[in-house]
Amino acid sequence: MKQRLLRDLPLLLLTFSLGAAALALIIRLVGASPVAVSKALWDGAFGSRYSLSETLVQTAPLLLTGLGVAVAFRCGLFNIGAEGQFLVGAMAATGVGILKNVPAVIHLPLLLLAGAAAGALWSGIAGLLKVYRGVQEVLSTLLLNFVALQMLSWMVRGPLQEAQKGFPQSDLIAVPARFVLLAPGTRLHAGVLLALFCAALIWFFLRWTAGGFALRAVGSGEGAAEAAGIPVRRTVLATFLLSGALSGLAGAIQISGVTYLLSDGYSPGYGYTAIAVALLANLSPLAVVPSALFFGALTAGSNVVQQRIVGIPSVVVQVLQAVVLLAFLAYAWARERRQRREEGGVA
Amino acid sequence: MAEQGGTIPLIAARGITRRFGAFTALERVDFAVRPGEIHALLGENGAGKSTLMNLLSGLLRPSEGEILLNGDPVRFRSPADAERQGIGMVHQHFLLVPPLSVSENLLLGTAPGMGGLLSYPIRRVLDEARSLADRLGWRIPWNAPVGSLPVGTQQRIEILKALRGVTRVLIFDEPTAVLTPTETPELFDTLRRLAGEGRGIVFISHKLDEVLALSETITVLRRGRVVARTRAAETDARSLAEAMVGPDREASSLIQDGAVSASRAGQATVPAGGAALFVENLAVAGQARPLLNGLSFAVSPGEIFGIAGVDGNGQGELADCLAGLIRPSSGTLRIGNDQPAASPGAFRRAGVAVIPADRQTRGLALPLSLTENLALGVYDSPVYRRGPLLLWPALRRRTEDLIRQYDIRATGAGALARSLSGGNQQKVVIARALAENPRVVVAVNPTRGLDVGAIAYVHAALRGAQASGAAIVLISTELEEVLSLATHRVAVLYEGAFSGIVSPDSPRDEIGLLMGGKTREVPGAAAR
Repeated sequence: MKQRLLRDLPLLLLTFSLGAAALALIIRLVGASPVAVSKALWDGAFGSRYSLSETLVQTAPLLLTGLGVAVAFRCGLFNIGAEGQFLVGAMAATGVGILKNVPAVIHLPLLLLAGAAAGALWSGIAGLLKVYRGVQEVLSTLLLNFVALQMLSWMVRGPLQEAQKGFPQSDLIAVPARFVLLAPGTRLHAGVLLALFCAALIWFFLRWTAGGFALRAVGSGEGAAEAAGIPVRRTVLATFLLSGALSGLAGAIQISGVTYLLSDGYSPGYGYTAIAVALLANLSPLAVVPSALFFGALTAGSNVVQQRIVGIPSVVVQVLQAVVLLAFLAYAWARERRQRREEGGVA
Repeated sequence: MAEQGGTIPLIAARGITRRFGAFTALERVDFAVRPGEIHALLGENGAGKSTLMNLLSGLLRPSEGEILLNGDPVRFRSPADAERQGIGMVHQHFLLVPPLSVSENLLLGTAPGMGGLLSYPIRRVLDEARSLADRLGWRIPWNAPVGSLPVGTQQRIEILKALRGVTRVLIFDEPTAVLTPTETPELFDTLRRLAGEGRGIVFISHKLDEVLALSETITVLRRGRVVARTRAAETDARSLAEAMVGPDREASSLIQDGAVSASRAGQATVPAGGAALFVENLAVAGQARPLLNGLSFAVSPGEIFGIAGVDGNGQGELADCLAGLIRPSSGTLRIGNDQPAASPGAFRRAGVAVIPADRQTRGLALPLSLTENLALGVYDSPVYRRGPLLLWPALRRRTEDLIRQYDIRATGAGALARSLSGGNQQKVVIARALAENPRVVVAVNPTRGLDVGAIAYVHAALRGAQASGAAIVLISTELEEVLSLATHRVAVLYEGAFSGIVSPDSPRDEIGLLMGGKTREVPGAAAR
């Protein structure tokens, strides 16, 4: 395993240098200096204690939604609705967070539970449609994203709007429902630890439990799993619920750890980046941690790029992420091709 | 097999050989169809019927030999090319788009005119089809979605699709396999009429009755060679059956295992003692006709019960019923005294182990390791489980034991199933099936696609399981395999029912007759 990694390293470096070269060209084309942009990117992601904390703050939602996507993909389910599940999770969490008269000790757990449950419910719709109606989950989960987006827009102007009815946003959630901050002067909150814990938990579940084995078996060979007596429908449904719960929890953590309120346009696209996070991690729950950290750093860093470098269009940041993903896909493709050639040579 | 004088054949194969790698599917085969002739092509599974038909219809090209069209050598570049030159093909599995109307389906096979996509010759194609249908006396609902029509009508649409103005030769691949008994004579009328118009008809079948009733000339293929060519009027079912399955001595040379021959003392009777598997009046409904129709049999511990028959006569459905994958429409299935619910898990827990026909999709999860694939057989057993946890170290040790015991060639327990050769993949499937000493083993085409060494291995493993007291149901389309492994009885499946249950030492032409749908008519044969 280690040997293979070492052997693949040159390939990895090659694809990423090609990606970097393409990026430099694009940055030149929009009239900025690639060196200045990379410096700002680095400073924003790792340059100081504060930027490091910002990276971690951006990592948490990507880590949880990335796990949600990875779990579904491992079962052969292309749940691309993490965005919608994230949003309904945030809405439910806000609904619980702004409640008065909730005993302080259970307010935060209740908020998190509500977020996870809402996310599970949302992807559960797609799960039921798939199992009982044969609806492709790629379609249903994607469309549910748009429903969730419209629902958010209505929520922050209707049921969840702040008491003054001024802006399309909710009231702040109660203080006991918030995550504690871990480092003074930063936004780093305890929810980041919870996200890390979830990654370990999902790894353990997939690797060691019978349920995790059923999930992987259905994803790797549905026919064989069915013939062996694994209840395929139940496994598919349960996977949808788990996947959605993780993304919903991401939404809840974002409410109670970072923003403390819900507003229109709440997600900058965490649920879509999550797909890239999961793929970069090769769907392994432990590898989702560095993968999410990478995209978290990219997000934190590019925020600084936009503040510091005047006139750089915000799409350049999106291009940056896209190029990184494309470079990785090119790497994975080349690696697979080489592997297949070697296997073919042996047979 | 001399060429019949007179007319030049519409299409002819001359000395055709076709190899796939090291395997020779057809060897120096001659074949010809003349105007107005219905020529039947008869043979078991794997005899080379499909290969010959694919060569004639342009899907494959010969390794040696040539194809003559109206006496001139020709090379078809593609099926479309062959179609343009007058060779039409009606497939057994229809190539129709169910939601589209009849007219739209007819247009699908049509090439656009000079103006590209905008110039489909809609009117001409439809007029041609209509006049043809009128001539044949067919009433076709032209605007109905094809999926809503009966199978017989769908086949007529396939025929209309294959039949263009230029078509001189029509090839039918097992056309009666999907039809109801009332639709079959109607199809035969059509075929006779088409031949009467001067076309040549190739009729591929394994049903002796039909071949004798319909065709003028009969060519029998066995293992890639033409073993008989005769006029239908000059032969009978028995000699055709013998030609199809081969003489007795070919089989007896394969039975070398003394123990197996010795254990055949009981002959066509059920061995004494309670049955491990008990099946009564098993039926599975189908669209046009029942897929399984009132099967009854019992298999005792220590018996290998062979089920022979040409593919597509209900083998898949029977295997799925015995595996718990489908619920029979009616009938009883008992494992010892248990009557498990129709689920694969319940059947496995009742003691049924399955060696499925398709090892790559049903047998194995290819991206998973050997440990994981073998765990599929025991993941719910308390031995390997503590609450929600699977005991992977124990499962891994078990895998290492099984790798040794079953001689699986792999780099280790962690090797991916995908990385194994076909024979070793099958060993994994067999190891999983036999490891927990099942009461009943259902093996479906267990040696398909394997080389000689792996075949011997699989046969030995099944005999070993039989010797240790398992009741084994062997469903196979390889007649040799069924005859050499079955200990007491061989049942022949034909159109979802047993056309007979005989001793594996029965004359092979008799079994051939049963495979062709002739229920036993020779008095005294049953007593053998």
